[in-house]
Amino acid sequence: MDHLFLLVWQALLVSVFFAFLWRSTAKGRRNLFLRTFIIMVVGSVLLGWLMYPFP
Amino acid sequence: MTADNSKTDKAGPNEAEARPKAPPALLFVAWLIPGAGHWILGKKLRAGVFAAVIVAAFITGVLLDGELGAPEPGNPFSWLATFACLGNGVLYFVRMIWINGFGGLLGGIPFGLAGGGNPAAAGFAYGNTFLYTAGLMNLLTVLDVSDIARGEKS
Repeated sequence: MDHLFLLVWQALLVSVFFAFLWRSTAKGRRNLFLRTFIIMVVGSVLLGWLMYPFP
Repeated sequence: MTADNSKTDKAGPNEAEARPKAPPALLFVAWLIPGAGHWILGKKLRAGVFAAVIVAAFITGVLLDGELGAPEPGNPFSWLATFACLGNGVLYFVRMIWINGFGGLLGGIPFGLAGGGNPAAAGFAYGNTFLYTAGLMNLLTVLDVSDIARGEKS
């Protein structure tokens, strides 16, 4: 099981969901999708690295 | 915020009464079948996307050996997990019948239900997360259907 794949898969599903829930235009949906997807994936990886020194 | 703004933010009793209410049957169907509420309201693209996303998240959770929430005495967090998972509507009941059998489902309410899953599996916690997320997303679609039906959103 690839943890990173599961992270990306979860971020993808949630980002698509909120893009269609909160925006009604194609451009708005694309922008919100990209923003939330990148924030979730990159933010999670960064948080993981920040937690790395701690036991 | 000024006093004038606070006056305009709050609707008076007459305005609140004048607001249309979403049909309970529509909200029930929207909860029971992911995407159905939007489909009935003519929002077919959104219906398809919501249904696909929620079903995909639910199936991922099951494949990762996640456990559906079921109430346990003395464990208040199990009620929160049950609430989140019940949000999946018919998917929850199909999975519960799969695990407990139809007789077990009826006989096990409220405290005898097994939620399936395998706590020793590597994907157990991930699976739980996917199952909770799917249920909570479906509950958000019910609120969205309510907004659309009341004319507060297009």
